[in-house]
Amino acid sequence: MSRLRVEPRVTESVIAQYLVPVVAIVLTLLSGTVLFTFLGKAPSAVLYTFLIEPLTSRFGIGEVLLKMAPLLLIAQGLAIGFRARVWNIGAEGQLIIGGIFASVIAIHYNESESTWILPAMVFAGMLGGIFWASIAAYLRVRFNANEILVTFMLSSVALQILYFLVTGPLRDPDGFNFPQSVVFADSALFGVLIEGTRANTSLLIGLTLSVLAYVFIRHSLPGFKLSVSGAAPRAARYAGFAESQAIWLGLIIGGAAAGLAGVGEVAGPIGQLQRTISPGYGFAGIIVAFLGGLHPIGICLAAFFMAILYVGGDMALISVGIPNAATTIFQGMLLIFYLASYLFVHYRISFQGRAAAT
Amino acid sequence: MMRGLRRVAALFFVGVLTVGAHSASAAELKIGFVYPSPVGDVGWAHELDNGRKAIEAAFGDRVETVVAENIPEGPDASRIMNQMASTGAKMIMLGSFGYMNDGLKLAKKRPDMTFIHASGYKLADNFGNFQTRNYESAYLAGIGAGFVTKSNILGIVAAYPIPEVVGIINAFTMGAQLVNQGVSVKVVWLNSWFDPSKAQESARSLVSQKADVLLSLYQDTPSVVTVAEEMGVYVVPTSSDMKKYAPNHLLVSQQIDWGPHFVEMVKNTLDGNFKGIPYWGGMKEGAVRMESWTPNLSADQMSVINEKTAELKAGAFHPFTGPIVDQAGATKLADGEVIEDGALLGINWLVKGVETKLPD
Amino acid sequence: MTETLIFICAGTMAAATPILFAAMGELVVERTGVLNLSIEGMMATGAAAAFAVATVYESSLLGFAVATISAGLLSVVFATLTLIFLANQVAAGLAVGILGLGVSALIGKKHEGFTIEPLKSVDWGFLSDIPVVGRILFQHDFVLYAGILLIAIVWFVLTRTKLGLIIKAVGEAPEAAHAIGYPVILIRFLAVFFGGAMAGLGGAYLTLAYTPLWAEGLVAGRGWIAVALVVFGSWRAHRVALGAYLFGAISLLELSIQGLGLAIPSQVLSAAPYVMTIVILVLISRDARQIRLNSPASLGVTYRHQS
Repeated sequence: MSRLRVEPRVTESVIAQYLVPVVAIVLTLLSGTVLFTFLGKAPSAVLYTFLIEPLTSRFGIGEVLLKMAPLLLIAQGLAIGFRARVWNIGAEGQLIIGGIFASVIAIHYNESESTWILPAMVFAGMLGGIFWASIAAYLRVRFNANEILVTFMLSSVALQILYFLVTGPLRDPDGFNFPQSVVFADSALFGVLIEGTRANTSLLIGLTLSVLAYVFIRHSLPGFKLSVSGAAPRAARYAGFAESQAIWLGLIIGGAAAGLAGVGEVAGPIGQLQRTISPGYGFAGIIVAFLGGLHPIGICLAAFFMAILYVGGDMALISVGIPNAATTIFQGMLLIFYLASYLFVHYRISFQGRAAAT
Repeated sequence: MMRGLRRVAALFFVGVLTVGAHSASAAELKIGFVYPSPVGDVGWAHELDNGRKAIEAAFGDRVETVVAENIPEGPDASRIMNQMASTGAKMIMLGSFGYMNDGLKLAKKRPDMTFIHASGYKLADNFGNFQTRNYESAYLAGIGAGFVTKSNILGIVAAYPIPEVVGIINAFTMGAQLVNQGVSVKVVWLNSWFDPSKAQESARSLVSQKADVLLSLYQDTPSVVTVAEEMGVYVVPTSSDMKKYAPNHLLVSQQIDWGPHFVEMVKNTLDGNFKGIPYWGGMKEGAVRMESWTPNLSADQMSVINEKTAELKAGAFHPFTGPIVDQAGATKLADGEVIEDGALLGINWLVKGVETKLPD
Repeated sequence: MTETLIFICAGTMAAATPILFAAMGELVVERTGVLNLSIEGMMATGAAAAFAVATVYESSLLGFAVATISAGLLSVVFATLTLIFLANQVAAGLAVGILGLGVSALIGKKHEGFTIEPLKSVDWGFLSDIPVVGRILFQHDFVLYAGILLIAIVWFVLTRTKLGLIIKAVGEAPEAAHAIGYPVILIRFLAVFFGGAMAGLGGAYLTLAYTPLWAEGLVAGRGWIAVALVVFGSWRAHRVALGAYLFGAISLLELSIQGLGLAIPSQVLSAAPYVMTIVILVLISRDARQIRLNSPASLGVTYRHQS
């Protein structure tokens, strides 16, 4: 009987690292082909709508960039923590609290036309995200409470806080009791990035952060510490890098970025505070972070691709009649195939023993 | 295995050839429909979809319809309607209150398109809205509830405390009070149009608090109705006739019919004379009607109901006719005074007899 | 008032059942050292598959069976990723969870907004007629009682059997367990499958007995609550079960309070279970000795044979 053996590589395979996302995408598309055939749709038509059509019109590109902004921000922030093995899975909650903090300013100064409103919102949103993530960091550092569970549960709490605020204190007094805030004034909204689309300047924050993330990881001491404490915790401890520093830094950066994403939503396409301010960006951001290999440049590409999937999914819904569940399935499969093929970056497969006797 | 693969491959290539073909359409007008919940078997979205079918029946090949169902109110809805607009839809029906601001934004950007929006309060030249005078049917159902209740407690599972819903609660209560002074009404707010498991938990909770008639107010599933049948209490659904879900305990259904209004709006769009008007159709217009009254009401009781039904259909009676006193005891309408449409569209108080307060 | 209390008590039994199944499954999974965050997706898949099958073939039993199998299959994907492809458990859990949500929406699409006959209550004879107690305890369907039996079985297996010892050994010190000769990967694989199957059953209970209908988003975070409950119950069967009932009661209390006209924002109650879980997590984690006593030491850590 032959035996498959998994052996660690001495060094990470660089080729494999670049190949993994490609393989994951190809496998996802193949599975998609099978899936759409089963649904009785011509797979090529569906895949065209999903992947190409979003890029064939100004509207489509605008929507992709709009969708990309929060994904990019969240994923860049999370990836820095993930590299240090700080598992913040509560970006959704940090996004919500960031959105709330920013909205409070927008609602309070709804009459104002000051150019300071938006920067203040951006700052407040970032603080909100940091605040929410800090709770998890504090509980982890001080009480050793697992940050995966705490960040996740804080997301559920954040959602209830949002529900409470939009049904009560932050509700539009003239809005006939419907749970939403007043519509923000123009001074509280991001400007349009490309004329004739909804894509807005919050994407620039995401791109700036991507550059910062690259510099941070490659050229800064804290960035180096973080990576070391993730890759070799024991070595990091010998070198005097405190684990608690990594936890604080990882969570705060992730929270700040998610909070910014929240500002981007309330001060962008939504333009007010509502019960739903994120269709699960916090979780999709995790997929993007992994799909981008936790690398700033990879994440930019992954966020762009993921945004295409979202927008293409809606296009497929309307023009080809594919249920929007297909987008969700695509996301899941992408990450599954990615994780499965990632094995080959760190390990190689070898055969051992006698030849197969079949 | 190989054959299967080959079939997949073949389909793939057939697909490539047909890609270009699907976008061409002969229809004069492409209309998009956005629903907040699944079309399903009964309920709000189902009736909106029946309105769509009425359009197709009336205009045939002249129109093409596109549907997006179960779209939550929020950023996704906005993208869906933008997407419909960018793929050639010239008219959009927005099926939920919460689509209002996104829809209005799009309407301002696209003066060449027309919009009709369910139950909102904002208008534009190319953005109209539509509601039923469901308070009329609720009043009649209330009379029936006043007759059949033994505990004198009525329960309402309600969506959001928006004026339309508040008006229905008031009318239902006043209808019951017409024939039974002692009734009191309990409300559970779900803050959702579509939350089947919470809706049924709420229904059970109301029954446990002695309610023996339930009003399922814009809950887009039959969950409250099935609970009522199971627990042996009367039930009044909104939107659709749900007799089949409660064959023994359905008090009456309030059936909505959007067909005539939708057809008119489409005709106006086709003729190029669409105006963003607020449409408010009641029993007179046939936008809402009573279906499947329970056989358990006596002839005398039915004659009271029939009399009021006739008055409502003739426009001779308004449920909101004074004296009406609110929960706090303040007089809202003096004796004989009839509420104005404007006041009713923004109604924000509950009548005396409703125990639950509006959330503040 | 007593009626309301009876309603809450009886309702709690039913409201807790879907979460109970999922949490008991997840408890066993976590005891072997695997953190499966895909419970929500598995519940959804079970719920949708069960409803589709029960609608088409008019058999609830078949529905439950298919739910178990379909969610179990999904858990095989998770197990393969984490145990054979050595993927990070957090990422794999999210991936499979998202896939499950998508799959459930697709399966359930055709049946959305329809409803079926709920399960019949078990006939306990005179017991069902006892005032108060009868209504709280003896007027439920058989799956609910199966859920209670499951608590007992999981508790018994984990605390009183050799299998329980092995499961805990694998979770505490996989290397040591492997050295003694236990097939760590296989045990974890089977545990994950069990966890998936139970999550599927829990989901099926929602669509076949509790609501009973399918709609996208019907599971509404119950899978995540199940994950939280395992922590809440500090990895012990009876405490996890208690947590499930507590959560069920709170969710019903939230609605009753409205009907009774009390002015507590319902969101406070909705958030309470999560806040309480965080508090308990802090309490059991702050003491290194305590946490070692309770939580499986290798939880969430990828294990690879060192042979």
